[in-house]
Amino acid sequence: MKIDMKKFAAWFDDRLALTPIFKYMTKKEVPQHEHSFWYYTGSSILLFLFIQIVTGIMLALYYKPTLEGATDSIGRIMTELPLGWLVRSVHSWSSTFMIALVMIHLLAIWFTKSYRKPREATWMTGMMLLVVSMVFGFTGYLLPWDDLSLSATKVGTNIPMAIPVVGKWVTQFLRGGDDVTGDTLTRFFLFHVCILPLVIFAILVVHILLVQKEGMSVPLKDEIAKKKVPALPFWPNFILREVVIWLVLLGILLTISLMFAPSLELTADLMAPAPEGVKPEWYFLFLFQTLKIFPANMGPVTGEFVAVVLILIAVVAIFFLPFIDNKPEGKKGKIIAYLGVAGVIYAIVFSIWSLL
Amino acid sequence: MRIDNAYFTRRKFLNSILGGWLGAVAASFISPIVKFVWPPYKEPDEVKLVFADYSAMQPGEVKNFVWGSKPGLIKRAQDGSFIAWVGVCTHLDCNVTWLPAKKQFFCACHDGWYDENGTNVSGPPPKPLRRLEPSVEGEDLFIRKPGVGAKT
Ligand code: HEM
Ligand code: FES
Repeated sequence: MKIDMKKFAAWFDDRLALTPIFKYMTKKEVPQHEHSFWYYTGSSILLFLFIQIVTGIMLALYYKPTLEGATDSIGRIMTELPLGWLVRSVHSWSSTFMIALVMIHLLAIWFTKSYRKPREATWMTGMMLLVVSMVFGFTGYLLPWDDLSLSATKVGTNIPMAIPVVGKWVTQFLRGGDDVTGDTLTRFFLFHVCILPLVIFAILVVHILLVQKEGMSVPLKDEIAKKKVPALPFWPNFILREVVIWLVLLGILLTISLMFAPSLELTADLMAPAPEGVKPEWYFLFLFQTLKIFPANMGPVTGEFVAVVLILIAVVAIFFLPFIDNKPEGKKGKIIAYLGVAGVIYAIVFSIWSLL
Repeated sequence: MRIDNAYFTRRKFLNSILGGWLGAVAASFISPIVKFVWPPYKEPDEVKLVFADYSAMQPGEVKNFVWGSKPGLIKRAQDGSFIAWVGVCTHLDCNVTWLPAKKQFFCACHDGWYDENGTNVSGPPPKPLRRLEPSVEGEDLFIRKPGVGAKT
């Protein structure tokens, strides 16, 4: 029997109405200008997110989220399963790459000011994605369940306690009780592999639909001058360039993962003293150092409370940045760009300082 | 349909009855869910240790015990009595350790120090170590939260 492909496709299209999407893809254009390069950051994040999903599912086939079994199960993955050590290494490095790219993506948009009207909601969903990505990292860090990750998680989940009343509630929610125990590990695993993926997908769908709805932004000065910016067809020209970048990134990721595979320490002991050198993942270091420079007590409140409140204010301000920066071409817009530079310098200096 | 002088239409009235009812049903599920998610596990009020394990301690010596799901520290004072603390740092909850040579408690997380009485002396800890109340009762050594009397 000969299948008539045309008829087959028509049947599907009748049911699912996909033609408009394909039409859209072939008609979609990406502006070409001196800052176009940054358009590739968004989809490169998607590459690493995809790698996280594939390697994450692989690890979850053998990982055991329990007090007794966690460390051993990772040991088994690394020593018994074919290329298991590499799967773990790729998952760990790809998370670093993904978060680094999310930060670069954010900064590129900050400096090109493409969050300006009408893309405020795209920016805000983006900020949510940043927070969710960081929570992904935080929950994943505990899963190897060694003394270092145990202490880092004790510290991290204790920070909300600096806020009176609600803080204790948040800490108990995160820990599943007053202390970090085996229940915390099970809970973090559930966040990491079930709840956060659902959340990130929900936000991501909105983020990407918004990008499609508005099309890619053009540079501010061209928009003001009403200049027509040349454009590149999304399919196949832009995608071709994208794929080249993906392959290069994949090569770098694999090389680094092969050479610097993460180690595995002894399983955590809830009663053991905290080890030396407790520190969070690199992307939390500047926040960690910020907390550290505040004195224990500042008048009636703790220094920690002041630090946590300041950090929350900063995050909320960045979330609403498109509304704060409502005249991007004016003087305020310039100041906000410089604040971005100051923020980057601050984060780098504080991260290095925390390692000294 | 709207009756003369009524504030709302019949449709609006029925919508709010139905909506309010659905909302109330949903709300009635929230409390049991919240109770399940925020578990009932709390710190113990007291733990019972075997006194024989601690009776040979020298004045100034410090030992560990298990206080629920975190470590506890017990010290023999010069007069032979016991002093006990919860062995977690008052800064951000890391487990502290006793350094006999320095006669201080040390927290490696952010370099916090407490003297031999549990008083915070340097680093970020804002408060002294939390005190517990040891009490020798026959063969047993009870460690209790302050304010929790012996269960007779
Ligand atoms: C998991 C994280 C994220 C993913 C997967 C993601 C994905 C994408 C993709 C595929 C695009 C289109 C291509 C591009 O402009 O690069 C995009 C655009 C955009 N993203 Fe994200 N993004 C993420 C996080 C963020 C963050 C943290 C922000 C900022 C707070 C943000 C704000 C934006 C904005 C404003 C645009 C529109 C840019 C324009 O039209 O020029 N995104 N994102
Ligand atoms: S947790 Fe002990 S010094 Fe920070």
